[in-house]
Amino acid sequence: MTARAASAVVAVAGLGIAGYLTVVHYAGGTPACAIAHGCATVQHSQYATLAGVPVALLGVLGYAGALASLARDGEGARTVTAFLALAGFGFSGWLTYVEVARLDAICSWCVASAVCMTLLAALSVARLLCDAAPARA
Amino acid sequence: MFITRTRRLVAAAALAAVVVAAAAVASSSGGQPAAPVATPALFRGIPEHGGVLGDPRAPVTLTEYVDLQCPVCAAAARETLPRLVRDYVRTGKAKLDVRTLSFIGPDSERAARFAAGAAEQRRLWPFLEAFYAAQGPENSGYVTDEHLRSVAAAAGVDAGAALEFAGSAAAQEPLNRANADAQRLGIDSTPAFTVARGDGAPRVLPVHDARSVGAAIDAELGR
Repeated sequence: MTARAASAVVAVAGLGIAGYLTVVHYAGGTPACAIAHGCATVQHSQYATLAGVPVALLGVLGYAGALASLARDGEGARTVTAFLALAGFGFSGWLTYVEVARLDAICSWCVASAVCMTLLAALSVARLLCDAAPARA
Repeated sequence: MFITRTRRLVAAAALAAVVVAAAAVASSSGGQPAAPVATPALFRGIPEHGGVLGDPRAPVTLTEYVDLQCPVCAAAARETLPRLVRDYVRTGKAKLDVRTLSFIGPDSERAARFAAGAAEQRRLWPFLEAFYAAQGPENSGYVTDEHLRSVAAAAGVDAGAALEFAGSAAAQEPLNRANADAQRLGIDSTPAFTVARGDGAPRVLPVHDARSVGAAIDAELGR
């Protein structure tokens, strides 16, 4: 499997996770702060939104953007993929720090998304540096 | 070619770092504690004894389990409690009790101990209302003596006396009771409500919206 195909698989997985969390955010149900910690605490904390936009929705946009950039295989597209993946990786790292250090709550879905972003960042960097892009006709 | 790619990567990484830093700053600064505001007339004229709001002879006891740092509890205080107080507590059908848990973090414990001091002054419910209105970012260390004094002023609580009580061993008792009751009843999230008729066993409600809780109180009243 090429780095591009692997990136697409990881991005689709991340899109699914972020999409699920976005649906949960908007569907609401009966929110609560869970004593056992976990996703409810994270989802209902102040860190679940950024300027009023759910972080999960930002994840959807990030993964969708990465997938769109993977549709082409030029140097520019690879750079865009790397930018999106590195930004997602960095923000996932920040959110993981928030979960551990500030909320004392771990959301397994968020961790899964962070793993996807980490893989996507590694693949996109490797693809940009090591894998030759096809020459333009 | 490799140098060009490396430059592209450095540029992408630098831009990503700027975006992440901006997002982290925005994420952190979005929830500074609001200035406490004077509590409305929700509880005016309703007696409070030992932290229990309402007529002590009311046939039904509604108990709310909260963590003062819990944003959903703050939402329940705004959206659920006013209707319950108006329809059931003020009319003498139910009395309202509370258990202050402190599972979110140290700020929860400081707030809960101070709340115990407010309860000593029969001003627990106005304090809870004012505290939620000034709720800050979870576990940010915002529950300082200064913050508590500010909330107390809005709630009509003697802050000095409440702080002194909060520092005493007696302030731990309501926290222990809240933890023990929550554990016994299997309550694993806040806000949670229980309803009980007379001295009967409390029943944990699976919901916390005003209509559903009101229906549960009506059911107890109809028994």
